[in-house]
Amino acid sequence: MISESWYVYSAIVLLASTSLICRTGYVLFGHLLPLPESLQRALRYAPLAALTGIIVPELLPWDPALGPQVDLRLFAAVVAAALFLWTRNSFLLIASGMVVLWTARWAFPS
Amino acid sequence: MTAAPLDPIALRALRRRAFFEGVRAISPGLVALAIWGVVTGVAMVKSGLSAPAAAVMSLLVYAGSAQLTAIPLLVVGAPLWLIFGAGIIVNLRFLIFGAAMHPYFNHLPWPKRLLLGFMNVDIVFVTFMGRFGSTLQKGSTEQLWFFIGATIPCWAAWQLTSLVGITLSASVPSSWSLEFAAVLALMALMLPLIKTRPAAVSVLAAGVTAWLTQPWPLRIGLVASTVVGIAAGMLAESRVAKNTQSGGAQT
Repeated sequence: MISESWYVYSAIVLLASTSLICRTGYVLFGHLLPLPESLQRALRYAPLAALTGIIVPELLPWDPALGPQVDLRLFAAVVAAALFLWTRNSFLLIASGMVVLWTARWAFPS
Repeated sequence: MTAAPLDPIALRALRRRAFFEGVRAISPGLVALAIWGVVTGVAMVKSGLSAPAAAVMSLLVYAGSAQLTAIPLLVVGAPLWLIFGAGIIVNLRFLIFGAAMHPYFNHLPWPKRLLLGFMNVDIVFVTFMGRFGSTLQKGSTEQLWFFIGATIPCWAAWQLTSLVGITLSASVPSSWSLEFAAVLALMALMLPLIKTRPAAVSVLAAGVTAWLTQPWPLRIGLVASTVVGIAAGMLAESRVAKNTQSGGAQT
């Protein structure tokens, strides 16, 4: 449970400000800030790299004492990703990932 | 912007027609948005956010990807600057969308631009550009009201389905691990972005960095993975460009 409410609500306000800054920055000040080509190229990879940086530690976590861990989540995620690349259906990705996780946990109880 | 000024009745009819055209255009996308809203609502609470905090979050942030990105960071108590930075990065695409929308809103006073800009989420942008992207005359009444018509159902559906997810999550046992749906939802955002070989290189580099930097405290490895991912992607891109140039010279 994330308990410290000042921390959570500060984070929420900061996140809301990122939505506001990114969505309205150009609509408000577009005439003042042209986007150079090289910056646009860098911006194209930024979300992809950041999302990867969030997802990988969730699927392949390190235990502070034991080091790198592999669990059934990784297996579920790989199956779901393969199904997504095949069907391009994001709902199927989420649903199949959950079903595979539940099935794998039922088949291999820890 | 129109050549002859319309009388009030004709103007109202024009607005209404454009508004409902926007509503109709956005409606197919609302199904996907609704599923996302429920998943995000459930994931927020199942990861440890209180129900009121989750509701405030969806109301103020109104950006599923930024909300889902912030959750693992909040769980480990990552510093606020990192949460802000991660939010900026996953929301960066809106800056590009904003640049494209700029000519359509240019003529409006800034409070309206502020509100309209904030409501410019992914499916509204895609739908709007699909309809008016190649139009030469930008900034018409029709375009404005189409945008408003597309954006209101979108906002309402997101808030409503997030609340449904937040409410539902109380009756879902923790053993179902529904917080894992948030990771899967992020994958559904990330995988379609891997369209080119440089993008795949970027993912690989960012992924390896993210794995190796996990012993670093409070998820600060995220900064390293993002920087390495961007650098690797741009490097691979310039290499691909060079290869195609030399390949073209040979044939």
